[in-house]
Amino acid sequence: MKLGLIWFWVALCCVPLRAQIQFGEAPVAHKGHVVLVSDALEVMAGEPQVVELRFRVDDGFHINSHAPKDGLLIPTVLRLDSGGGVKVVGEQYQAGSAFRLGGASGEVLDVYQGEFRVSVRMVVPKGASTLTGALHYQACDNASCFPPRTLPVMVAVTGE
Amino acid sequence: MARRLAIVLLLVVGVTLIILSGTHNLRQRQSVIKQAQQNEVALTPADASGSSGDTASDPLAPTMLGKVAPAFSLVDLNGKKVSLADYKGHPIVLNFWATYCGPCKLEMPWFQQLAGKYQAQGLVVLGIDEDDGMATKDVDAASKQIGVSYPILMPDDKVSKDYQLSDYLPETYYIGKDGKVVDQTIGAHSKNELEADIQKAIGTGGL
Repeated sequence: MKLGLIWFWVALCCVPLRAQIQFGEAPVAHKGHVVLVSDALEVMAGEPQVVELRFRVDDGFHINSHAPKDGLLIPTVLRLDSGGGVKVVGEQYQAGSAFRLGGASGEVLDVYQGEFRVSVRMVVPKGASTLTGALHYQACDNASCFPPRTLPVMVAVTGE
Repeated sequence: MARRLAIVLLLVVGVTLIILSGTHNLRQRQSVIKQAQQNEVALTPADASGSSGDTASDPLAPTMLGKVAPAFSLVDLNGKKVSLADYKGHPIVLNFWATYCGPCKLEMPWFQQLAGKYQAQGLVVLGIDEDDGMATKDVDAASKQIGVSYPILMPDDKVSKDYQLSDYLPETYYIGKDGKVVDQTIGAHSKNELEADIQKAIGTGGL
C-alpha cells in the first residue's frame, strides 16, 4: 500500500516534468518561412511509385494551398525535374485548410500551415539518384505578406 | 530502515524533478518571451513614439519618420502621370500593396471609406502596386474587385528604393500637409488605427 502511494507520488512528480519540458528542437523561423523536411527517399526501382515530399511552414505563417479560392492569390506549386534517370509522372497536392483573415468577417483563405505534403508519382532507376526541382509559394502572417519565393528542392533517392 | 531510506530517496528524487522542471520551464518561458518581443518589433506598427531609433539593427524600423516624403512621378492605371508634387499641401496616405496580399486587401476598402470621410479636409489616398511584372489591366481588375477607386499607381524601382521598402506588405506612409512623413506602418492595421494616423496627417503641417 505504502509502496503504491510512493510510486503514485513519483508519477505525479513526473507529470509536470513531462508537461513543462519541450522535447525536441524549439521552433526556428526560417528566412523564407518554408523548409523541405524530406531529404532522402527509398523507392522501388523501375516501376511507378508514389512518394510523399514533406514541407514545413514556420509557426505563425501560412502559404496559399495549391488551389486558393481567390484567383488573385498565388498558389503553391511544386515543379520537379525529370532527369538523371528519375522520371516524374505527376504530383498530387494535399488539400488546404481554411484560414480566416482579419476576424469574423474576414476573407476565408485556403492555406497550408505547419507540415504539408505533396505526393509525387515517379519512376526511379536502381541505385542512387537525386530528385531536383523547386517549390513556388507565397507566405503571409496574420498582418503582412512576403513576396513570392522559390524554395529549391533536392532529395536523395535510392532505387532498390 | 532500508524501506524508509528508499521512501526518503524517492521523495527527494520527486522534489528534485519538480524543481528541475520549474527551472527549465522558467528558462523556456524567458526564451519564448524574448523571441516574442523580437517578433513584436517586426510586426507591430512602427511609429515615432515607439521607435528606438536603432534603424541599423532593425530593418523594419520607421526610417522615414519626420523626413520629407521622397518625390515620385508614376503612371496610374489609365496611363496618366501622377506626381507627389501634384498634391502639395494635402495630407496624403501612400499605401504600398500587392494583389497577392490578403492583409492589404483587408485595409484597402477602409482607405476608400476614409478617403470619402476626410475628402473635405483634402485627404488624398494613393495606392502603389508592388506586384512584380503584373500587367496594368490585371492590377486594374484587382483594384476594382477589392472595391477601391482612389488612384492606383504602377511602381518603378526608384520609388521602392526611395521609400526604403522592407520585404513586408502592406506598408503605408502618412504624409502631413508640409510633405513630411508623420507615420509609417508595416502590416495591416485596424480601421481605427488607420483613421487615427490619417487624423495625424490632417492635423500636421498646416499653416
